[in-house]
Amino acid sequence: MDGALQEPCRSCWSGGWARFRKNRTGMAGAVIVTALYLMAVFAPALTPYDPISQGSLPEMRHHAPGGDHPLGTDKFGRDVFARVLYGSRISLAISFLSVTISVIVGALAGAAAGYAGGWVDSVIMRFVDALMAIPRLFLLLTCIALFSNSIPLVIILLGATSWMATARLVRGQILSLRRQDFVAAAESLGAGGRRIIFRHLIPNTLTVMIISATLRIGGIILTEASLSFLGLGVPQPVPSWGRMVFEGREALLGAWWVSTFPGLAIIITVIGYNLLGDGLKESFDPVHFG
Amino acid sequence: MEKLLEIRGLTTEFVTSEGAAKAVDGVGFDIGAGETVGLVGESGCGKSVTALSIMRLVQYPPGRITAGSVMMDGRDLMKLPEKQMRRVRGNDISIVFQEPLTSLNPVFTCGEQIRETIALHQKMGRRESRLKAVEMLRLVRIPDPEKRYDNYPHQMSGGMRQRVMIAMALSCQPRLLIADEPSTALDVSVQAQIIELLLDLKERMGMSVLLITHDLAVVAQMADRVVVMYAGAVVEEAPIDSLFSDPMHPYTEGLMASIPKLGERLERLPVIPGNVPDPLRLPSGCRFSDRCTKRIPKCLIEEPPLFSPAAGRLSRCWLREGIGR
Repeated sequence: MDGALQEPCRSCWSGGWARFRKNRTGMAGAVIVTALYLMAVFAPALTPYDPISQGSLPEMRHHAPGGDHPLGTDKFGRDVFARVLYGSRISLAISFLSVTISVIVGALAGAAAGYAGGWVDSVIMRFVDALMAIPRLFLLLTCIALFSNSIPLVIILLGATSWMATARLVRGQILSLRRQDFVAAAESLGAGGRRIIFRHLIPNTLTVMIISATLRIGGIILTEASLSFLGLGVPQPVPSWGRMVFEGREALLGAWWVSTFPGLAIIITVIGYNLLGDGLKESFDPVHFG
Repeated sequence: MEKLLEIRGLTTEFVTSEGAAKAVDGVGFDIGAGETVGLVGESGCGKSVTALSIMRLVQYPPGRITAGSVMMDGRDLMKLPEKQMRRVRGNDISIVFQEPLTSLNPVFTCGEQIRETIALHQKMGRRESRLKAVEMLRLVRIPDPEKRYDNYPHQMSGGMRQRVMIAMALSCQPRLLIADEPSTALDVSVQAQIIELLLDLKERMGMSVLLITHDLAVVAQMADRVVVMYAGAVVEEAPIDSLFSDPMHPYTEGLMASIPKLGERLERLPVIPGNVPDPLRLPSGCRFSDRCTKRIPKCLIEEPPLFSPAAGRLSRCWLREGIGR
């Protein structure tokens, strides 16, 4: 009947992938992020050193980069390259998991608000406004001071304080989606509220959610680094980039490499995620590729 | 004929900043078992809102059904709890909307959407409901249904998508299919195919059809009986043949006159002057009085009731008062 019928059966995302492969910055981001994950997974194969056990002191302290230690050693004689490698595990895991939490919570809250409307919408969205009005870092600091810092707590806190933007985004999407004919059609065939939300509305917001989550990961990595820098993020002696920057700062003039390399790692990761997010946005978000 | 649906005094209002507008104002008619009833009228006369009201799908706010009853199997659908009403939708009454291009969810395959509807109402396993869905695709004459099952809506043309919508609506063998301008958004050749398909399926499945359209040609092709609506109210009801040979309301006469006829040369088609009145500012007396060519003084004072000038016929016009009773 028309040309579209000859098209082989592929998912409706295929057009987006084709666009994404042509998007240079997006692909660069994808390469950076993939490389980071590979580094995190294969860290033991990439360095012979242990990131935690100390070298023999004092002769191992603050070795300059080069030779056996490509990025030098810190004041405990630990290999900086090994610590940056192993630190990527923490940064990537924390950012990924807390973004997942924030996306799930935000999607549910936003979908409930957008679909129910009326007072439910008002209550949820005013709660979101209230949470957004609280300075995030202080909230995090207070909670960690109250409960002591552990990795699961940091993940949950980072997730619990960053879902509001997703909620707003999803609510807006749902508000426009629920006026669409296919929702009326599903209702007319006897679908109930839960089914409409989970089968018809949320799947249609997935693209936008993935894009915003990717763009948000950079921010979460920075927040985790700030927390660790303040000594309240990941507990000692687990290697974390923020913590390493913090520990290196006292010897910054003498041993610049201790702070600089983990700092660079943070920058590269955040840039990688942001490039990836922008690329996804340009390829999949109808507003941008249209 | 056995009655399937009895609609009485159905009234649906929309709240606006200027007050409540009655989009449907005391509409009543019957639909017999196996009968096709055409509901006609121009845009904005309340045809679609009537359909949505029967299904209780009017968005609240701003819309609200304020009065009336829709009886089916001795139950008033307007009074059913929402949960039971959900079982009626898709199972007893289904609706096919005007816009096939946007009525399917873009992120799922067409087959999956049919399968979902089946699984929603009937206890069936995944494989069984899939087979049933393929069968439905075959029933609406989609070629190569097994392969088409895995197509996404954007891979199908408008006509194909409307077929999928029809398959979805019929997948649980409803007794009433409401077709809300099912062919309006399609091009002419596809329109004919869809109408023909609906006729065929209606015969095969023995269901009733409420056909909503502004296209009198489609009505002539499909309907047994016609209900004409104007500004939210029924103005005429008649069996299909006598409506065309002998319209009994000036509005219906106007509609007929504005259809182009084959072989007739006219400089200009006759039109009904004016517009459908704003439901917030209906003219006093008869709601058609400001556009009517046969107006008499009484029309401006009092709204006419539905007169029955002949057997099986109703007309809301003062000119029919006292005739044939």
